[in-house]
Amino acid sequence: MSRIRPIGLLSSVSIALFALSIYYVLLVVPVEREMGIVQKIFYLHVPMAITGFIFFFLAFLFSIFYLKRQNRKWDIFAASSVEIGLLLTTLVLITGSIWARPIWNTWWTWDPRLTATFILWLIYSAYLILRLSVDNEGKRAVFCAVMAIVGFVDVPIVFLSARIWRSIHPVVVKTRSIAIEPKMGIALLLFMAAFISLGAILLWLRTSLSIFEGKLLSLEKQGGN
Amino acid sequence: MGAFVGLIKKDLTVALRRKETFVSMVFFAILILFIMNMAIGMGEKISPDMAAGILWVAVLFSSISGLGSTFSMEKTNRCIDGLLISPVHSATVFLAKMTVNLAFLSLAEMIIVPLFLVLYGNHVQSLHLSLLLIILLLNLGLTSIGTLISGITAGSRRNDVLLPILLFPVITPLIAFTIKATGALFAGAPFQEYAPWLKLTAAFALIFSTAGYFLFEHVLREN
Repeated sequence: MSRIRPIGLLSSVSIALFALSIYYVLLVVPVEREMGIVQKIFYLHVPMAITGFIFFFLAFLFSIFYLKRQNRKWDIFAASSVEIGLLLTTLVLITGSIWARPIWNTWWTWDPRLTATFILWLIYSAYLILRLSVDNEGKRAVFCAVMAIVGFVDVPIVFLSARIWRSIHPVVVKTRSIAIEPKMGIALLLFMAAFISLGAILLWLRTSLSIFEGKLLSLEKQGGN
Repeated sequence: MGAFVGLIKKDLTVALRRKETFVSMVFFAILILFIMNMAIGMGEKISPDMAAGILWVAVLFSSISGLGSTFSMEKTNRCIDGLLISPVHSATVFLAKMTVNLAFLSLAEMIIVPLFLVLYGNHVQSLHLSLLLIILLLNLGLTSIGTLISGITAGSRRNDVLLPILLFPVITPLIAFTIKATGALFAGAPFQEYAPWLKLTAAFALIFSTAGYFLFEHVLREN
């Protein structure tokens, strides 16, 4: 009898959620009156932003666990979370640009929210560069944990600095507040669930890959040449 | 307290014997001020905000060489081992290192800021003594997080390249606050108008001094 692995189950749920979300957004949710079809990218954009942020928060928590326990597992969890968060943030910047081109008539403006997201992206990219630059495993884990904590502590200040900028400077382009229709809300929640499940799957796969990698390395060391 | 003073004395002695760090800090800032001046062009007028930006970019870049040497000098002849086995709490080491960095940065600024005022004086409409307060708060914020991160990069393979890569993204809010405050000061705004920026700068310094105080222990152990 073949046993059902939890990751397989989760993957099926995730695929179903994505299929349902896409169907719902394309065929059920009405087209927004002012922005037209382009507005639909929001149902991807916003859930990805929130999920990405959740993963940066997870990386912060895992890094604290690592410094407390010095267990290699937490370092792997933190690094994987940063990678997933960074992937989602990159996609957020790209989907945002695609939306901004027809609506704001530019790919990029230094709007506070864009600026803050971009700084966030820089901080966590720097984290990954640090990971590549330290060879010793224990050392790398400690340094990266400190960096992930520092980076996350910085996030509220980054957002604050961006928002205060707005109150002093006139805003060139203003984010239009969208009166959320119930169907639009449901679409957002569906995609939110889909992206969280996807993130969980990626975290699972990435961490188990790193754990196997570590085992392989230690086996190679034992074997010698 | 004795250990704190002792550590500061040690670092100051070492730095005074090898002057190249300090000299290169100041020289680098002069170069940036000069290049920025060429970028603006002859006879062009720039806004007070932009002048403030040029000043702090010069200071920020020059601070890198000062911060970078905090630990690299401990690494020659593994001096850091002496530091690690000494019965001094790591938080004391952090505060001592931060104080030394603060002293050197302030010393460098005593040359950089007057020089900036000479070279860019016609773009600065107004000056006030509270510029000293702005400088002090920026220095506190920059050296608190800078000392912590320089501890990290000293343990990596590429200290000099990695330090700005890790430091600059984290301190963008600090630089933004400082430029805004300085720009307002240069434009002749009253103190109340830019005091909120200064509060935020102080908050930044406080947050990252605390973070450094607690996290430095882990960083120091790995060096």
